[in-house]
Amino acid sequence: MMDAMDALAAMADDARAILLLCSSIAARRGDDARPLGPAGWAMVAQQLARVGLAPGSLLGLDEAALAQLLGDAVPSAEAVARQLSRTGQLAIELDRLAMRGISAVTLADDAYPWRLRDRLGPKAPPVLFTAGERSLLNAGGVAIVGSRDIDAVGESFAADVAASAAGSGRAVISGGARGVDQTAMRAALAAGGTVLGLLPEGIERRIREPETRQALTDGQALLASPYHPGAGFTAGAAMGRNKLIYALADVAVIVASAARTGGTWAGAEDALNAGWVPVFVRAAEDAPEGNRLLLRMGAHPLEAPDAPDAPHPSAAAPTRPAAALEAPFVQDSLGLDDGA
Amino acid sequence: MADVLQAHLETMLGAGAVFRDGQREAIEAVVQDGSRTLIVQRTGWGKSLVYWIATRVRRDAGHGPTIIVSPLLALMRNQIQMAARLGLRAVTLNSANRDDWAAIEADLAADRVDVLFVSAQRFANEDFTSRLLPTIAGSIGMFVVDEAHCISDWGHEFVPDYRRIGRLLPALGPVVPVVGTTATANDRVVADVAAQLGRDVRVVRGPLARASLHLDAIPLADQAERLAWLAEHIPGMPGSGIVYCLTVADTERVAAWLRANEINAVAYNADVDAGVREGLEQDLLANRLKVLVATIALGMGFDKPDLGFVIHFQRPGSPIGYYQQVGRAGRGVADAYGVLLTGREDDEIAEYFIATAFPPTARMQEVLGALDGVATATIRDILEHVNLPRGQVEKALKLLEVDGAVGHERGHFFRTPMHWAPDEAWIAGVLEARRQELASMRQYVDTADCRMAFLARLLDDPAAHECGHCANDGGKVWPRDVDHDLVLAAIRFLRGDIRLILSRKQHADGKRLGFVNGEGHALSVYNDAGWCRRVHDGKYRTGRFDDEVLAAAVALITGRWQPSPAPTWVTAIPSTAHGSLVGDAAQRIAAQLGLPYVECVTAVPGLPTQRDMANSWQQEANARRKLGIAGDLVLPGPVLLVDDIVDSKWTLTVAGELLRAHGSGPVHPFAFAVASPRGA
Repeated sequence: MMDAMDALAAMADDARAILLLCSSIAARRGDDARPLGPAGWAMVAQQLARVGLAPGSLLGLDEAALAQLLGDAVPSAEAVARQLSRTGQLAIELDRLAMRGISAVTLADDAYPWRLRDRLGPKAPPVLFTAGERSLLNAGGVAIVGSRDIDAVGESFAADVAASAAGSGRAVISGGARGVDQTAMRAALAAGGTVLGLLPEGIERRIREPETRQALTDGQALLASPYHPGAGFTAGAAMGRNKLIYALADVAVIVASAARTGGTWAGAEDALNAGWVPVFVRAAEDAPEGNRLLLRMGAHPLEAPDAPDAPHPSAAAPTRPAAALEAPFVQDSLGLDDGA
Repeated sequence: MADVLQAHLETMLGAGAVFRDGQREAIEAVVQDGSRTLIVQRTGWGKSLVYWIATRVRRDAGHGPTIIVSPLLALMRNQIQMAARLGLRAVTLNSANRDDWAAIEADLAADRVDVLFVSAQRFANEDFTSRLLPTIAGSIGMFVVDEAHCISDWGHEFVPDYRRIGRLLPALGPVVPVVGTTATANDRVVADVAAQLGRDVRVVRGPLARASLHLDAIPLADQAERLAWLAEHIPGMPGSGIVYCLTVADTERVAAWLRANEINAVAYNADVDAGVREGLEQDLLANRLKVLVATIALGMGFDKPDLGFVIHFQRPGSPIGYYQQVGRAGRGVADAYGVLLTGREDDEIAEYFIATAFPPTARMQEVLGALDGVATATIRDILEHVNLPRGQVEKALKLLEVDGAVGHERGHFFRTPMHWAPDEAWIAGVLEARRQELASMRQYVDTADCRMAFLARLLDDPAAHECGHCANDGGKVWPRDVDHDLVLAAIRFLRGDIRLILSRKQHADGKRLGFVNGEGHALSVYNDAGWCRRVHDGKYRTGRFDDEVLAAAVALITGRWQPSPAPTWVTAIPSTAHGSLVGDAAQRIAAQLGLPYVECVTAVPGLPTQRDMANSWQQEANARRKLGIAGDLVLPGPVLLVDDIVDSKWTLTVAGELLRAHGSGPVHPFAFAVASPRGA
C-alpha cells in the first residue's frame, strides 16, 4: 500500500501547481483569493494545453508572465502569482497532512480516478484528499445511497446489498453520512469487503474515529473528499460530492429517496440525466414516494437486496496517462451512458 | 552580482573586507532560484554571513523571508546586529519567548520579518504549522538547515524531528533555494545529506582542522582520578571552558566537586530550566564562569570565539560528535586545549546509549496498542495501560509520530490510519554505524599519530595533515599522574555525596496523597563510586551490610542529617527476596541510636518486585497491592523508616502512608542507596 508519505515524496511540480491554485491548504490565512474550482481549473488547463505547457511550468513565473500566459483564463494574475509562490508552505502543510495519513491526489496524477476524469470532464474536482487504501479510487464498485432517516426495512435492505457487493468482491461506495451510507459501509466491512467513502466535509476529523481508523489501517477502506481536510460540513458541499459517488461507481443503488426534495433526490436526478452508471432503485410496496418517481424517470427496479451487475463490466480501465495537459472537457466519454 | 555581494560584505564588516575561501562561491550558489547547496565548513568560517547576504539579495529581488532551522536556543545578540547592518530583521520562535509570538505573528503578516529562526521540533507543533506559518505574507524565500548532518541517519546525533525536515526538502518545490550547513561531516554523512537535498546539489567544502587547538587524550583509572585531574589542571587552563560529561548526574557531581575546589563551575544539562541555561551561556560568554560542566545539551550553535579549553570527562561515542564539541575551543584565540579524559566505565556508558537508542519493537507495538480503539489518549492514559518507563513511552511516541503512525495535538495523542512496521534493517544499520564510531573513538584514544590529523582523517577531511602542536606531535603534553591527596579528597567527596530522597506528594494520577513523608536521605548512589560497592556486596553477596557501612549510615543520620522532629523509634521495609537484610540493618541502626525497633510493615509474598514496574502508575498500584501493616504495633512518635535501595520511592511512600494512618508521627525515610538518577 502506498502511504501518504510515499505519495508526498513522489509529488511532481504539476501536482504542486494544481494544489496551490485549486486548494487553500497553502494559502495565507485571510487571503480572500478563492481557490479555482473545477471550471476555473479547466480554463487554465485548456490555456496551458494550447501553448503546450505543463502546469508545473507555472511555478516560478512572475505576475507579468502569468498575465501574458493565462490572460482571461484567470480572474487575477496577481492572485495566481501569490498562490503559486507558496510552495514552501505547501510542502510543510502536505507533510503535516502526510503524518496524519492524508495525501492529495490531483488531476495531474496517474492515481487520479479515471472514472471522474472521463465522466465528469470539466466538473471533475482538480484535487481529492484521501486517507486509506488508494487503489480503491480506481476500483469501481457499487454505489449505495439514500436518505439519512431510514426505516428498519430500508436499513436492512441497504445492509444486505452492501454485504452482497462485498461477497462478490466489489467495493461499496457511499457518502459516509448517517443512515443508509453508514449502514452500507459497516455491513460491507463486516462482510470482509472494501469501502470507499466520499465525505461531505474534510477528512481530518473523521479519520480519528477508532472504527473508521481501523478500517483504514487494515487497508479495507478509503476516505476521500474534494474539500479542505479541515473543512466542516455544509449542505452545499454534500450536494457537490453526491455526483462523485455515482461517477466513481460501476452501478448505483438508491435505497430510499424523498420525492423532489433533499440531497438523495437531487443526486439521483443528476445521475439519471448524466447517465454515468446504471441506476437501480429499491422497488417495494412500502418504499418511499421518491423511489416510485425515480423508477418512472427511468431507473431500474431492484426487488431483492442483491448488488446488481453493471451491464458493462468495468474491467477495461482505459490505459491513457494522466491527462492534466488535456482540457478535461474535450476528452471522450467512455460510452457508459446507457443507464437511462 | 559580484559587486553587489562585495558591497553587502563591506556594509557588514567595513570597507576593504574580503570574502573567505568559498564564501562568495557559496552565496552565488545559494541565491539562485531552486538551488541546492551544502556548506561543509568548520564553525567560525562564517556561514551565517552567507545566509545573511543571500537573504538580502533574495529579499531585494522580491522573495519572501528565509526560514532557518537551527538548534539555537536564543539568537546571539551579535548575530542580530550583523543582520541589522544589512537592514535585515531576524526573529526567533521558541518555547521560551511565547509571550512575543503575537507580535512576531503580526510582523510576519505585515512582511516585516526577513529571517525566521526555528528549531526542527517546532515543525511538530500544531500551533506553529497550522496557525503561525500560514500568516507569512508571501512565499518562503529560502530554506536553511543549520547543522544539516542531523538529517542524516549516519550522523552521530539521531534527532527524530530532523527526519521530517529531510522529507520536507525535496517537497519544497522548484523555486525555493535550500541550504544545508554543517561543520562536521564525514563522506558518508555528506553524501547522505546531499542526496536528501535533491538533485544537482552543490557542495562547498573546506578544511576542518583548527590550527590553534592542542589535543591530548589521557586514560585514567576511575572517576576519582579524573576528578582529581580536573581540580589540579583546570586552574592552569587559559580563559574559560567547557567540561563535557555523558550524563546529567555527572555534570552535577563534577560541578559540585570543582566548586568545592574553589573553581567557578556550574552544571548545564537538559534538566536545567531553559531560561537558566540561557543565563549560563551568557555567563560563559562573558567569562563570568571558569567552567560550564555540560552534557551535549550545550551544543550546536553555541559560539564563543575565545573559549580556552574543552575537556571531556568521559570519552564521547563518535568522532563527529567529539570534533564538534572540542571544536568549540580556539576559534578566535591563538592557543586552546582539547583534553579527552577516559576511564573504565566509558565503554559501559557508550554501550548503554547504543542499546537504548531505539525502543524495542515490542514496546513500540505496546504503545501503539494503547492508542488502538480510543479516539485520543494522554501520556498518563498510556502509562496506566503499559508497563513502560515514561521516558521510553515518550521516545516511542516521538518515533511513531515522525513515522506518521501517531499524531498529537495539545497533549492528546491519537493513532493515524497509517500502517506501521519497524524498519529493522534501517535500525540495525544505524546501530552498526554507532558501533563503528565507538571503535573509532577507542582508536583515537590509543593512537600515537598526530591527533588532529587522525581526527580529520576519521572525518574524511581531504585536507587532513599533521598539526605539529598536539600532544602526539610535539605540542603540550598534560601530566598523566594525579595528585594522591586530591584523589583521596575526590574519594571522600564521592562517598560524602549524600543523596536526598524527596518525598512524593501526589498519587500517580496527580491527586494529593493523604500523608507525605519527610525529606529522606540515602547513603550513596547505586552503581557509583563511594559507598555503593559495599552496599552492593551487602545486598547481593554477603546478605548483611558490614559495620563500616552501618557506621557511615549512623554518622549520616546523627551528623549531617539530624531529622526533625527526631525519631523516637525505627522500623523497616520488609525484605522479601533478600532475607532479613533490611530488618537486620534497621535493628542495628536502632540499637546504635538507642531507639526501639518495631517490625510492623508487612509484605504479601509472591508479587512482582517494584523493579519490574516501569512507571508511576504501575509502581503505585504494585506497592499498594504488596504492603500491609500490623496497625496495633505502630508507635505514636516520629519514625525512621529504613530501606536498602530506593528507586521509584513508591514503597517508602505507601509504607509512610500506612504508618501515619495507623497513628505514627512524621516518617523519615532512610536508604543505603538510591538507584542511579535519570541519565546515569
